[in-house]
Amino acid sequence: MIDERIKADLIRIVGNQNYTDNLIDMVSYSYDASEHRARPSCAVWVETTAQVSEVMKLANREKIPVTPRGAGTGLSGLSVPAHAGVVMDLTRMNRILELRIEDRLAVVQPGLVYADLEKALAPHGFFFPPDPSSGKVCTMGGTVGTNAGGVKGAKYGTTRDYVLGLEVVLADGRIMRTGGKTIKNVSGYDLTRLFVASEGTLGIVTEIALKINPKPTMTTTAMATFNDLEDAGRAVAEVMRSGILPSVLEILGRETIVAINQNTDLNLPEVEALLLAETDGYTKGETDFQMGKVVDVFRRNNPGMVKLAASQEEAAGLWKARKSAYAVLARIKSHFVLEDVTVPIGRVPALLKGIQAIARKHSIQIATFGHAGDGNLHPQILYDGYDPAQVRSMEAASDELFRLSIELEGTLTGEHGIGLSKAPFMTLEHDAVSLEMMRAVKRVFDPNNILNPGKMALDAA
Amino acid sequence: MEAKYDFERKYREQILRCSRCGFCQAVCPVYGATLRPGLNARGKMLLLKEVMDGRIDLSNELIETLFQCTTCASCTHNCPSGVEVSEIIKVARKDMVDIGSCHPAFTGMHDVLLHHDNIYAEDEAEDFGRGKKATARYVFFAGCVGLYRETEATEAALGVLDKLGVDFTLIEEACCAGVLEDVGFPMNDKLVETNIERILATGAEAVITGCPYCARTLNNKMQYAPLRAKGVIIMHIAQFLKDYDLGLHTDKKVTYHDPCDLGRHCGIYEEPRQTIRKLAPNFVELPHHHADALCCGAGGGVRGAYAKNSIDMARRRLKEVEEAGAEVVLTECNSCVHNLGNAKLRKQKFTICTTTQFIHDLMEEAE
Repeated sequence: MIDERIKADLIRIVGNQNYTDNLIDMVSYSYDASEHRARPSCAVWVETTAQVSEVMKLANREKIPVTPRGAGTGLSGLSVPAHAGVVMDLTRMNRILELRIEDRLAVVQPGLVYADLEKALAPHGFFFPPDPSSGKVCTMGGTVGTNAGGVKGAKYGTTRDYVLGLEVVLADGRIMRTGGKTIKNVSGYDLTRLFVASEGTLGIVTEIALKINPKPTMTTTAMATFNDLEDAGRAVAEVMRSGILPSVLEILGRETIVAINQNTDLNLPEVEALLLAETDGYTKGETDFQMGKVVDVFRRNNPGMVKLAASQEEAAGLWKARKSAYAVLARIKSHFVLEDVTVPIGRVPALLKGIQAIARKHSIQIATFGHAGDGNLHPQILYDGYDPAQVRSMEAASDELFRLSIELEGTLTGEHGIGLSKAPFMTLEHDAVSLEMMRAVKRVFDPNNILNPGKMALDAA
Repeated sequence: MEAKYDFERKYREQILRCSRCGFCQAVCPVYGATLRPGLNARGKMLLLKEVMDGRIDLSNELIETLFQCTTCASCTHNCPSGVEVSEIIKVARKDMVDIGSCHPAFTGMHDVLLHHDNIYAEDEAEDFGRGKKATARYVFFAGCVGLYRETEATEAALGVLDKLGVDFTLIEEACCAGVLEDVGFPMNDKLVETNIERILATGAEAVITGCPYCARTLNNKMQYAPLRAKGVIIMHIAQFLKDYDLGLHTDKKVTYHDPCDLGRHCGIYEEPRQTIRKLAPNFVELPHHHADALCCGAGGGVRGAYAKNSIDMARRRLKEVEEAGAEVVLTECNSCVHNLGNAKLRKQKFTICTTTQFIHDLMEEAE
């Protein structure tokens, strides 16, 4: 329950129509796309930076937690209000403020949906390359907050590589600008990148200046099947050595393929692993040449079959299927955890093998797919959340998965963020000094710990 | 634990299957108009999940979301987890009604249909200045909106059938009653029986409806099985007209709005286009069309219960008509015409009408 006095203040700031403590909103704001759940006390729909600033001043004075939120598609509990308080929904700040093609610049508000940015850039032949699977619904603020990646990470990097500058409202309501609007900028500390992947724990991003890229007009898509996971893993590593950088190189494991087949009419071959590759460029000759090299590598690694997509439609079908993988897998069991462990690319075969061993050991179903080209895999642990034994197996499997990734010189998370899910594992990856530095940074920006508290293990002493 | 409600008994597994990916949010017209995720399909599924988990219970507090769904089925169509949201909502609404929680607009509609044969509580049926034949090859079934609100569209449809020399008759029709089940009440048997009896009495081989929702109801509802058992075919007028060569022509830039009830719910996308393309070579698609079409905002009782949001949804659709640069937007549903017409701004100079109305006007011009 929210204090009546604070409620009145919030309403004064955002207006009656932009404040809610209705049950239907509170339940909806209790969740993201992870299994975490925590109900806020109220929510506000902010429309201007000034409102964000006023809300923060109030929250800081009264020491009320504020959890910023976009589309709520996160997979690690980032926008779940773990300490209750106010959910700040930024989806109504959804305008494109500037589009300057010759400057390769788009300035956007945080609530803008990724797909709407794509739609605005397309007529100019430009795009914002990170291509998260949730693109048709996720917001740019969330994209920055998690440093979202996607299928194009190997060639085009992640959100971090495209954020030039920010407007940020700090915990005490002060408004700060970081970076700028230039492609190059080494002026002072890189505060911009400090905010990328900060999960809303350091400030509320209210404006984002993004670098945009010309979009290659031609692609070639191919698929290869493997009856042995390790052959597929070796093929991935060898593609990386071949000198060709595919724009996309994805892997789908057997369980994922089966789930996709059950929900589409693609009739994918139900093998141990399927690799999907795309090369991009400006002429068919260029993309076919690159793909030729990739296909040669596939052929050298005991594939079942290798097939080039005959048409753009066929290719589009394959990519659509890939993007739906996590949701179609959700049909199999009542609950799931979708991980995003990432290892150096040469370690992908070891990771794939390790995941299978973990699944066997804990007698639990783990479907794997992911961005093999950048070492980022998505083991999806499927379980019945109403069965305590299965919940324990899921937890044990997750734990081992994280340890395995770290052993392989990898990370807990390549693109989903730490949030609540991986907070207990921060010490696995980060040494005590590094964690203390992170906590010190948090204290500088948010001394009262009101910004998205409970995330990233920053609260620990 | 014993399930407390029908929605759980019937759909527990599906509700749990919702992975909260939020893909429905990208297509939900109610969300699009309000940007309020609690009103989106995901928000609704989360509430039902919390009811199943015993964290909350069905109550009046849930009316605003459970009764605010146009049943456009965009969410169902786009759900990678295969959750049939509109079917789940229907059962949840019934559970709500059972515990005495219902939006007053729907309680009102139910009460009206206890004493009247139409949703508007009109006492005098429009007879369009024509009598009823005792027998005919076809029955034209206009539907409540066509009989009492969009009468011009109905008149035009009757005119077109006349000009084509079709042997048809009107009947003293009652509300098809399908909407009652959509908003949580049982279908009114009396209304259904009246319709079946009067249709059969004409000896008609087929019913042509002016309303895609009525067509759906007569075609799919178990209560109308006796009608179908007699071999009576039910079709929407768009299906009836598609094979005619009308010999009409317009140079106008024409676009088409897919009604949810005809498109996503019945899979009828091409028949109206087939007719329209023949007479309007300058045909353009709206940015969202076929299965991706945006809802006009009228369905599921939302027009009556949440008028402002309903109009906002219609405005989003009309903005697409502007973007497409069309002079005429045709559709096959009187309800869509009604809502889009209500939402049209003065600066928007295009015409909104049913395809049959447009055909009728072209026929008149040609004469």
